[in-house]
Amino acid sequence: MNLYEFSYGIIHWLVNLVNNLWYWLGDVLPGLLGDFFDAIGRFAASHGHMAVMAMLVESLIVIIVALINVLNFIWIFRKLSGRIFDFYGPYYVGYRIGGWLQNLADGVKLLVKEIIVPMKADKMGYLLAPVIYIGSSILIVGIIPFSENFGISTTREPGQYVPGAALLALAVFAIAPFSILLAGWSSNNKYTLIGGMRSAAQMMSYEIPLLLTAVSVFLLAGSLSFVDIVDAQHDIWFGIPLLIGLVVFMVCLAAEVEIIPFDLPEAEAELVEGWTTEYGGMRFGLFYFTTAIRAYAGGALVTAFFLGGWQGPAIIPDEIWFLIKAYIVYVIFQWMTWSLPRVRVDQMLGVGWKRLLPLAVLNLLIAAAMKTLGWF
Amino acid sequence: MAEMWINMGPQHPMTHGLWNLRIKVDGETIVDAQPEVGYLHRGIEKLAEGKTYTQIIPIADRLCYGSSMTWSHLYCLTVENLMGLEVPERAEYIRVMAIEMQRIASHLMWLAAYASDLGLAAGFTYTMRDREVLIDLFQALTGGRLTYNYPRIGGVAHDLPANFERDALRAVDYMETRLKQYEDMFEGSKIFMMRNVGIGILKKGDAVNLGVTGPSLRASGVSYDLRKDMPYSVYPEMDFAVATHEDCDCYARYRVRMDEMWESCKIIRQSLKKMPKGKWRIVAPRTAPVGTGLGRVEDPRGEGMMYLVGDGTDRPYRLKIRSPIFVTVSAAPKILVGYKLADVVAIMGGLDMCIGEADR
Amino acid sequence: MVSRSKRTTSLGFVTKPMGRTGRQVVNSLVTGKPNTILYPYEKLELPPSYRGKHTLDFKRCIGCSNCVQICPNDCMWMEKLEDPELGKIERPGIDMGRCLFCGLCVEVCPTVAIHETVEFELASHDREKLKFGPKELRDDKFADSYVEERQKRSLPVLDLSKCTGCDKCAPECPAICIAMVPIEGVGKKKPEIELEKCTSCKKCAIICPEKALEMKDVYESYFDMPEPKFMLKNCTGCGACARVCPADCIYMMEMPGTEKVLKDGKKSKPKKRAVFVLEKCVGCGRCFRACKFDAIEMPGARE
Repeated sequence: MNLYEFSYGIIHWLVNLVNNLWYWLGDVLPGLLGDFFDAIGRFAASHGHMAVMAMLVESLIVIIVALINVLNFIWIFRKLSGRIFDFYGPYYVGYRIGGWLQNLADGVKLLVKEIIVPMKADKMGYLLAPVIYIGSSILIVGIIPFSENFGISTTREPGQYVPGAALLALAVFAIAPFSILLAGWSSNNKYTLIGGMRSAAQMMSYEIPLLLTAVSVFLLAGSLSFVDIVDAQHDIWFGIPLLIGLVVFMVCLAAEVEIIPFDLPEAEAELVEGWTTEYGGMRFGLFYFTTAIRAYAGGALVTAFFLGGWQGPAIIPDEIWFLIKAYIVYVIFQWMTWSLPRVRVDQMLGVGWKRLLPLAVLNLLIAAAMKTLGWF
Repeated sequence: MAEMWINMGPQHPMTHGLWNLRIKVDGETIVDAQPEVGYLHRGIEKLAEGKTYTQIIPIADRLCYGSSMTWSHLYCLTVENLMGLEVPERAEYIRVMAIEMQRIASHLMWLAAYASDLGLAAGFTYTMRDREVLIDLFQALTGGRLTYNYPRIGGVAHDLPANFERDALRAVDYMETRLKQYEDMFEGSKIFMMRNVGIGILKKGDAVNLGVTGPSLRASGVSYDLRKDMPYSVYPEMDFAVATHEDCDCYARYRVRMDEMWESCKIIRQSLKKMPKGKWRIVAPRTAPVGTGLGRVEDPRGEGMMYLVGDGTDRPYRLKIRSPIFVTVSAAPKILVGYKLADVVAIMGGLDMCIGEADR
Repeated sequence: MVSRSKRTTSLGFVTKPMGRTGRQVVNSLVTGKPNTILYPYEKLELPPSYRGKHTLDFKRCIGCSNCVQICPNDCMWMEKLEDPELGKIERPGIDMGRCLFCGLCVEVCPTVAIHETVEFELASHDREKLKFGPKELRDDKFADSYVEERQKRSLPVLDLSKCTGCDKCAPECPAICIAMVPIEGVGKKKPEIELEKCTSCKKCAIICPEKALEMKDVYESYFDMPEPKFMLKNCTGCGACARVCPADCIYMMEMPGTEKVLKDGKKSKPKKRAVFVLEKCVGCGRCFRACKFDAIEMPGARE
């Protein structure tokens, strides 16, 4: 049973429960009022209405599961960084489960802080930037399915998932630079302005190798939907013939998600906190959380495109396989983060345009060659 | 984009001390720079005029809290020069060993700050953890962790504690294995080399003209080390080499400091082996003769100098301190112009700023 | 010297540093423990020479205020107390808010009464609570368990009130450190001992018929403390210096032959003068501050 049927079942049960009230009101109240409640009851029980509500419920479920996973990611991030740095990670809060509740404690702390808006900041941009940033990031995690049966569907028929999901995910991924630029500029601070500009330059120059590599994957799979891409990997994962593509994709994702070594917009040493300097309280918490969401989304994309998605031996359910692979990719990202220094702006642009772009094109040629030879 | 002045500091998370660096940027390229120091001025030279000679030793420690043994040793050398005292040999060997341990600890702290500035956060914790080994040795020797109050006028405060030689040799062995690992971790990383090679060139002539001393000068190819050129204490008996490097960039400064750490390990081993038995302190006279005293040492950051005028009482008339960083920071405009904004941290970090001694 | 640098390969983009951190993770998870001491639940082990909170041994302290004078930051003060065993005494208190924990007070104390322990958790919400008076610092048992670093010697200490000037001690000394010196105006002689040459052989203490010379343990002091210089012509015999001296170095002795004949024919008491036994002097400067007639000069002492 897939997620759509599950949520449809829930809505069906709920509607039946509530319709008792509407029909009873329709019987009791006389005249037009009674007809009105009757009509509401009939509308609620109609297939179109229930389908829409089912889709809302399943999106909610997918997003909640993804966000709880992001909390897990943040916990792993802090524990792993602790072990790399030779100390314990979070230890005391949630003592017996290894400090997992530290995230909630930090969230509560950020909630009670004072929220300050700088006087000369451009209010519209300042208040709008976090909304766009976190909104687009949550949209991405909603689109990526966990397995064949656990994702968001677009039609009433089960089994049909968002047709251009992969392309939609990559497109929404790229909305974030605009919000970063907006945040950096509207804070009325020279440091954040520099941070915003750097971020725009970085993201723009690393989008192109990212998309070229994704195109090579689409070429081999023959479709733009996640389910088809993962199904096309049933013989061999795409990561093995397209090894160059895997490396290029991971480096570009590191640049998109802004982790060290591509940490320039948020470089602590020079720019205090970069483009998030003027944000306090829960707004800053949202930025922090969103970085983790985007890291998770990146890991999920790499898994789906190159590492076989949710395929694996059947002892463990598919969703767990997907998550395990995403966690492994995330761990490799974190390992890279704490081992390497930061690159400079012009060096980063140099790497992006001079090294990664030719490699991405080469990867595309390999994929095209493999497709024409009929191996996929 | 138009040119604008940016203030890095005084409140900045990573400028190693309280100072302000005003940079004029054109886009991302630096056009001009103006350092401003003086935020940490504590009036040490004036404080010293009202205290007796022994009471100034803990205050001289606090000049540069990153390498405090050097400054109290320098002060004691100056007073001994003024009074014409001869310090027992065992005390000299203990002092040299303590100074070289302090040199390693100071360079490790520099490396920690430098690595974390460049973004390599793991470098910070690893080097600080190794510095703890040395700080534990100091704790057993002197009783304090960061400011020691150990040299006295006429020797050192007390003798080495039990088992100190065994612990010190073990620490030096451990330090040498870790230094090898640091070289792998830093120089084995291409990004680190990209950030450092060719950045912040300070030519030989400019360095000598501006009065820069210490590792920054030796990285520009000038072989000038006070321990060899104007030896003090028992340095003539120690066998070590002076570390220099021919490129004048940030990588050269990093390399010179790593080499200095290797040489310091050698010196510590030699001083422990050659240490004679005997007295470690003599009674110094309370009042100083009328006259002047001068002391110069090779601080981990450069050449430190103190000048003391005595007037026949038990308090000094004037104490003048020459700090190496105060002079080196004035070289900032020369080094920074032409590089990018992201290079400021690499360059100024490579000069090892400790503002405590610049502002006195 | 040319430095030993290495050049890196292109693969060193990521492999070497990641190898280092990877090995660190394995070390910390599998083979060892992280380098953290979970502070409030586990404590650091500190060596005994660590400089933390002070303790004061009331019995050993003589109230000389040397520690108060040498403190670089003026954190100490003397407090007058009434103790049931020791009577009226003066003992020092410390303001921990200003204290540098430099250890100079420990070094200068002539009787090794003040020590620094390893206790460092002294934080408080109120600055006034950081001023520790002598009663809060009191610990009379600490010194018994502490291994002293300072050397001690057994030296003869003179009690001038018992000495008759019989000159039996001076020829006994094998190192010739005792010289009999006449006391001006009193007519007696007193032995002056050069303590640097003394070999602690105890012959002078054994031979003394009045038991005026006693062998006591004296701790070495490396500080050059100021010495008082006495001017007889200004002394009025008031006895103020003898009352304040904490180390019992000043004795008031009568000068025979200075009795005056009073108006009604009786003889007055003879004038007194202060006699200094400088071997015991700790250099605190109290006599200098107590004398109102400028009979004592002490170059280098505080006002």
